[in-house]
Amino acid sequence: MDCKKAKNDITLYLYGELDEEDRAALQQHLQECRSCAEELDYTKKVFKLLDEHQPAPAHEPNWESSWQRIQSGISRTPAKDKALLFPRWRWVYAGSAIAAILVIGIIIGKYWLAPSPQPIQTKSPTTISPAALPPTLSSHLEDLKPLLLEYAHYTPGAQGTKTLAVDEKIVRGLLLQNLLLKRILAEKDPAAAELLDDLDLVLKEIANQPSQGRQAPALIKDLINQRGILFKMEILKTL
Amino acid sequence: MAQGGDTGAFRALFEDNRQQVFSLAYHYLKNPEDAEDVLQETFIKAYHSLHRYNPDKGASFRGWLNRICVNACIDALRKSKVRDAYSLDAQEAANVHANPHHSNPEKTAQNKEIREKIDQVLDKLSPKQRMIFVLRHYQEYTTREIADYLNSSEGNIKKQLFRAIEILKKRLKRFILEDGYGL
Repeated sequence: MDCKKAKNDITLYLYGELDEEDRAALQQHLQECRSCAEELDYTKKVFKLLDEHQPAPAHEPNWESSWQRIQSGISRTPAKDKALLFPRWRWVYAGSAIAAILVIGIIIGKYWLAPSPQPIQTKSPTTISPAALPPTLSSHLEDLKPLLLEYAHYTPGAQGTKTLAVDEKIVRGLLLQNLLLKRILAEKDPAAAELLDDLDLVLKEIANQPSQGRQAPALIKDLINQRGILFKMEILKTL
Repeated sequence: MAQGGDTGAFRALFEDNRQQVFSLAYHYLKNPEDAEDVLQETFIKAYHSLHRYNPDKGASFRGWLNRICVNACIDALRKSKVRDAYSLDAQEAANVHANPHHSNPEKTAQNKEIREKIDQVLDKLSPKQRMIFVLRHYQEYTTREIADYLNSSEGNIKKQLFRAIEILKKRLKRFILEDGYGL
């Protein structure tokens, strides 16, 4: 190992980013090279100096007023904001919009206006989308399935007060993922969006349960069953 | 889609990530008001760009948000809104307030001088280099994560990090030699 590489590796070593092989090579080099050993010592001192003279911790902002400002920011029309933020991209947006309209036209012509190759095949009338599941939706449904099954198979304990342990962070993550997919699929795939609406309701019910003791899994079970959510998910997957 | 439901979910997202976004912006900009502006800008941009977030690409939501925050911070610094606005005296006062045991005036003056020097050196780095250093040293993100946030290669990030560290080591030598800075 040459001294230039050793010098760089010292930084990575102090940040814990050196793999075992490079670490062993550096240690070997440090035993043989006094100058690099001193460099390690000096770098440690500089890091210590930096750590001891960090900016003082800031007082937390008023989160509520920050949120109020964010809310007013997100209620403005995004198009207006984008134009203000990125005026030079306006023509790119316009070009993209035209291209998108053309692509949508081609897709409509190809799939919806063309005669069906299998006219006998019957499909549920519905609400279910003929398009293949976007990968994000399929993985989202896979993520949700264990949680929904747990609620769907819920049976109250002898006391009738049995609760289901749910990780609030995971539910919030699923809720957010659901929200994102709803935004993505709202116009592209109304059937999937409808299912995501149902899932939104269920997830909110789960998320809004008090974290201690008073969960109402029976109500959530009813919601899942009444809306046929698991059935819709299965059908959507098989199409 | 019910707007109320959306903002409800988005608020949960805000609550989960606000501290981390604010901390990054504050370490980079060193001014709480500017950090708060970046916090708000980050979440507003995130909301309007939600359709671009694809969890299947492997990026966590937090990582995606960091990427927006990083760019908002660099923009803020480039516009020079904050570069010169930072008041060292105010910072020093905050430090003294935060640490009442710092009653030694000589030590306080020396700390002020060191912080001033560190700030001067960081100001001399390019906005991107400074961001790489802040993300690696203070926020403890890996160079791989930083490469993702800055849309760059890991090799390039490491190269810039080495340069930033080299500059800091060179410019802070006097303090290390004077004080010994024993470990």
